[in-house]
Amino acid sequence: MECKDVEAVFEQEGLSPLPAEAREHLSACESCRELLADLSAVVVAAKRIPAEENPPERVWAALRAQLEAEGIIREPRAVPEPAAEPWWHGFASLLRPRALAMASAAILIVAGGVYFSNDHAKNGGPAVATVTPPTVTQSVTPAKSETPAVVQPPTPALSAEVTAKKPAGRAGAAETSKPSQIRESTTPLRPSPSELASFGESAAVLDQTERAVPSGMSNAAVDAALRENLRTLNEFIAECKTRLKENPGDQMTREYLNMALQQKAELLNAMMDSGRSEH
Amino acid sequence: MERQGMRVRGGVYALGALVILGCAVTAAAGSTESQEKHFTVSGRPVVTLNNIVNGRIEVKSWKNPEVVVNSTAVPGKVSIEAEQVGDRIEISATSLDEAASAQPHEVEANFQLIVPEETELQLRTQTGLILVEQVSGDMKLQSVAGDVHLKEVSGYVIVKTASGSLVCTGCTGKLDFNSISGSAQILQSSPTSLNLMTTTGNILYDGEFRRMGLYTMNSGRGLVEVRFSRGDSFDLKASTYRGSVDNQAPEVLQPDTHTRHHSISNMAKSLWVTMGQGSARVEVSSYSGTIRIVMRNN
Repeated sequence: MECKDVEAVFEQEGLSPLPAEAREHLSACESCRELLADLSAVVVAAKRIPAEENPPERVWAALRAQLEAEGIIREPRAVPEPAAEPWWHGFASLLRPRALAMASAAILIVAGGVYFSNDHAKNGGPAVATVTPPTVTQSVTPAKSETPAVVQPPTPALSAEVTAKKPAGRAGAAETSKPSQIRESTTPLRPSPSELASFGESAAVLDQTERAVPSGMSNAAVDAALRENLRTLNEFIAECKTRLKENPGDQMTREYLNMALQQKAELLNAMMDSGRSEH
Repeated sequence: MERQGMRVRGGVYALGALVILGCAVTAAAGSTESQEKHFTVSGRPVVTLNNIVNGRIEVKSWKNPEVVVNSTAVPGKVSIEAEQVGDRIEISATSLDEAASAQPHEVEANFQLIVPEETELQLRTQTGLILVEQVSGDMKLQSVAGDVHLKEVSGYVIVKTASGSLVCTGCTGKLDFNSISGSAQILQSSPTSLNLMTTTGNILYDGEFRRMGLYTMNSGRGLVEVRFSRGDSFDLKASTYRGSVDNQAPEVLQPDTHTRHHSISNMAKSLWVTMGQGSARVEVSSYSGTIRIVMRNN
């Protein structure tokens, strides 16, 4: 296997696990080892970029309260029922062309909606729906519009919170919009599955790079210091991983694991550099 | 008779070995060569020193618009190059020992730099000390196992080591320290922003807290000690996952009870305190080490 083949392996199959031929080439080729170290550092750094997360529920609650306070959205109001008319009047109005067109459009929309919902249900439901933040679902209509804006509460808990804060009047509304009134979310921030998986990937990539590090450097003092620190980091990473398995939602452990992985990437880079500069 | 002869022979061998060793040491000590180079600068110079081999780097300042580079190394074992492009001065020391047969002291280059007071520095070495005194300017200082000592420096200072420790005395500006097993001591300093991170080293902060300053100190397994005075003003958040928070001034630092805090970990032990107006923000964490908060006597 040649350098370009190894590069193709990196490009097409990722950094871990590497095929035996690639590993064999790496053990003999310094420039490919450097490339692997650089790519590993990039991968680890990229994993540190936080994934997009839904804002806490309190943000949506505050947003809704603010919009209500400013009169931009309102609670659904009962639409006054029209005066009773004979039933045939209604039937006759259906036969008017405009009404017929509207009714046809409504039927098409409903049919389409039913079709799509069934189709998605068969396919396990849309993945997007699970990550979409709880939003003001209907278009926020101007206050003057006769059609009431409907705000769908994202969760029952949020609904209760909003109900409790529902202002009775203008003064109440202003009070609701104060940031100090916003209740702190007590639910710990859970890691996304991709974030949890990324730790494993980062660690695997770094382990791969570690195996490719030259076995010994001429500068014994530097070599000893680097290897001692690598051991220290590996121990710490192992400890964090164990704790994270026991308590996957622990943010502090995740932060320390992230920092240790980043440090390991930099250390391996330094080891590669030292090996290169001294041989 | 034969035994006595053996003893005499042994003595002669030992004496011979000592003489050879003495000669070798003398030769080694005597073979280092010193160089001095002068570079005239017009504005604020940027000095980069990349010492791939071991060795110590000392940087001091003066008022002259000139950079002086003093270096010592064993000729033939270490190559030292220095060049100037405008106000940028680049110095490098590399090993010439391709066969890696040299003794550790032979692959060593020591530097003494004198720079204008306002100078930007980028220094890198392997195992020697980096010492910077009375220099104002942004700095990036890197070492594998060498310590970093800063005295009366200011600017945005970034220090990265694997196991080297940092001692910073009388520093101002912004300081960023990242190490695996090195410790950090910040003494009599008043940085506007501080970020110290070490995996197994200890951290000691014994400085001022500036208004609107942000002070972050994290240690994976080490001890983090923060000292403060009665008149200081800060918001302190200290938390540890498996260690302990040792509040040695409970009479002054009363944990906040009027607000609920969102803990970053279910299992963390934490202390949230506001001192004075809470002008500065101090965030201290340790994964499994102790956090100690101490009030100074004066």
